[in-house]
Amino acid sequence: MSPVDEQQPQFGTLAPDNWKLAIVVGLAVSALAILSLPVKDSFWVTGAMVAMVAAAFVVNAYRRHYYGGLLVSPAIAVLFVMNIFPLLWSLGLSFFAYQSNQQNIRFIGLHNYEQLLTNDLKAPELWGNLTNTAMFVVLTVTAQMIVGFLLAVLFAKQFPLRRYLLILVLTPMMLSVVAVGVFFSYYYDPTFGLLSQAIKAWAGGEQFILMSNKAGAVAGIVFADAWMWSPFVMLLVLAGLVSVPKYLYEAAAIDRVSSWRRFWSITFPYIRGLLMLALLFRTIEAFKLADLVILLTKGANDTMTISYHVIRIANEQNKTSEGAALSYLLLFVVIVLTNLYLYIANRRARGN
Amino acid sequence: MPSPHSSGSAVNLEGVSKAYGRIKARNGLTFNVGEGQFFVLFGPSSVGKTTTLRTISGLVIPDEGRVALHGLDVTRAPINSRGVSMVFQSFALYPHLTVYENFAYPLREAKIARPEIDKRVKETAEMLRLAHRLDRKPNTLSGGEQQRVALGRSLIRRPQILLLDEPLTNLDAKLRHDMRAELKRLHRQFGMTIIYATPDELEALSMGEEIAVMRDGRVAQKGTPDELYEAPADVYVASKIGAPHMNLIEATVTENGNVLKTGFGSFDLDRKVAARAGDKVVMGVRPSDLEIAPTKSADLSASVQLLEPLGDVTIVSLGEKADNLRILLPESRASEIKLGDKLPIKVDARTPTA
Repeated sequence: MSPVDEQQPQFGTLAPDNWKLAIVVGLAVSALAILSLPVKDSFWVTGAMVAMVAAAFVVNAYRRHYYGGLLVSPAIAVLFVMNIFPLLWSLGLSFFAYQSNQQNIRFIGLHNYEQLLTNDLKAPELWGNLTNTAMFVVLTVTAQMIVGFLLAVLFAKQFPLRRYLLILVLTPMMLSVVAVGVFFSYYYDPTFGLLSQAIKAWAGGEQFILMSNKAGAVAGIVFADAWMWSPFVMLLVLAGLVSVPKYLYEAAAIDRVSSWRRFWSITFPYIRGLLMLALLFRTIEAFKLADLVILLTKGANDTMTISYHVIRIANEQNKTSEGAALSYLLLFVVIVLTNLYLYIANRRARGN
Repeated sequence: MPSPHSSGSAVNLEGVSKAYGRIKARNGLTFNVGEGQFFVLFGPSSVGKTTTLRTISGLVIPDEGRVALHGLDVTRAPINSRGVSMVFQSFALYPHLTVYENFAYPLREAKIARPEIDKRVKETAEMLRLAHRLDRKPNTLSGGEQQRVALGRSLIRRPQILLLDEPLTNLDAKLRHDMRAELKRLHRQFGMTIIYATPDELEALSMGEEIAVMRDGRVAQKGTPDELYEAPADVYVASKIGAPHMNLIEATVTENGNVLKTGFGSFDLDRKVAARAGDKVVMGVRPSDLEIAPTKSADLSASVQLLEPLGDVTIVSLGEKADNLRILLPESRASEIKLGDKLPIKVDARTPTA
């Protein structure tokens, strides 16, 4: 680590580690390219500029011995390429009129959003999808929280074969959604399905078609989703339950405290934060629910969700930029909702 | 110094054993605590003190033996029927409740009216000088304050039997001293039976009306502090009680049976020891029973190895090998001594032998 290496290069000098200059030049060149060149070419110019700035950062980190930064840079690069860039790209797309099966692309500003918020939202289809989504959020999250919590309370105790049962209970969470969807569609199948067979054997009649009406279809989807994700809630709550120091329960036993009060004043404070986290994660996920719907009902019987709707218009109808705009509106809703959660949670925590 | 209350027995353990896997935490433990007594369980860590307290409180059910409180067999009785309160070594304060709520917690279940709870909490807080801390959470308090909260939570129920599991171990020296006095005062004030577990001999000797020295899950010796100090039953008890520790010197008994030969020289005992000539024995002498004597009347002699001044007294370690002698000298005498000096030592002949 020689003292020369410690010094930052002068802003004006042309050095491979002069990242400040690289940023300024990169921004200027990109702006010029976007304004003067066709969209297709400016894309590559901007990309090259981003690569240049990234290279400057890496060289700088290497010369200044910022090995920590250097070591995380591959992860950041992957994150940027796979995650941040597509996110920004789709945000950009939402301001254009663009269809992925056509060549022409035209800047139309906020028109997509305007259209969505004024006309489309009034249409019964989109609004119906939104209310369906809200319904799925409430039903699946409630089911998962209750089942997950009860499972956690069960597994916090010691009993024979606990380890093996725990692995078994955690399995659904690790299965692919496709596998779960296929499994449940067999399970619900009117002719061969276990459910139909069982009901036939028990109550008689012909075959039982669960998915024949909205209530049945929704129940089928909610059950499958809850089956898959309750273990996730359980895992979080279980972590909270086992973190409660044992001596507190002993002290409570000596103090002759009832089990109900013991739960609320000793156990609950330890799992409150994790319950909130589980609620947050599951709500966000439930908002994006589309996979199970596609696999089980394909949106029939009024089970379309808003995410499925986005997939339809963006992929099947090739309305790329409209889909992007709708996605961003959804993102906005989710952000508002989660912040509301966090606000309430924090206020509660301060209040106590 | 028997307590004025001591009539019946508050706690009685008979042949109590408990094994954790292959490790026996207690091994046929038997002792008896008088009503209203301040009883100390003393012994190094992992000797079974905590498990003993947990058995009395009902957190642990023993494998064998009988536990009786006030003459009633409670070996398998549920915790809440025992009228026993316990202060844990870790304090075990409820972290999400304020000091006030921690105090009120044991009372809430007992269906005591709110104004009464409020009164008792305020009283307890006043007594433990915590009145200004009532709305704080435990983790914002100092160690001493947390300790007092733990104590208050146990006292507020006015238990007949109070178990204290090394309650002062986590405190600093000054606070420990204050709390010792505080505990003695509380004991006088409420007159409940206290069983106090500690690995600290000073605590044991200064607080206990009666002390049980524990070893391997058994009581090695039980007695008042004076009894334990003056007449330890065996080498183990002798080595545990008293600071600085008793000198334990290997010696050989000579022909006439009352002269002991040690590595430092030999000397006469006033009485005969229960050993035959030629036997190896271990001799125990309190450091305070050794003094520097005119060379003529000296029994032993050894050179100074280490000086540990403690203010008004100094511990002087003598001898070259691991086998050394400690004597306690007043400051005025010790200041004349230098390392390496050869000192003539006179033994006060009252000393016990084993």
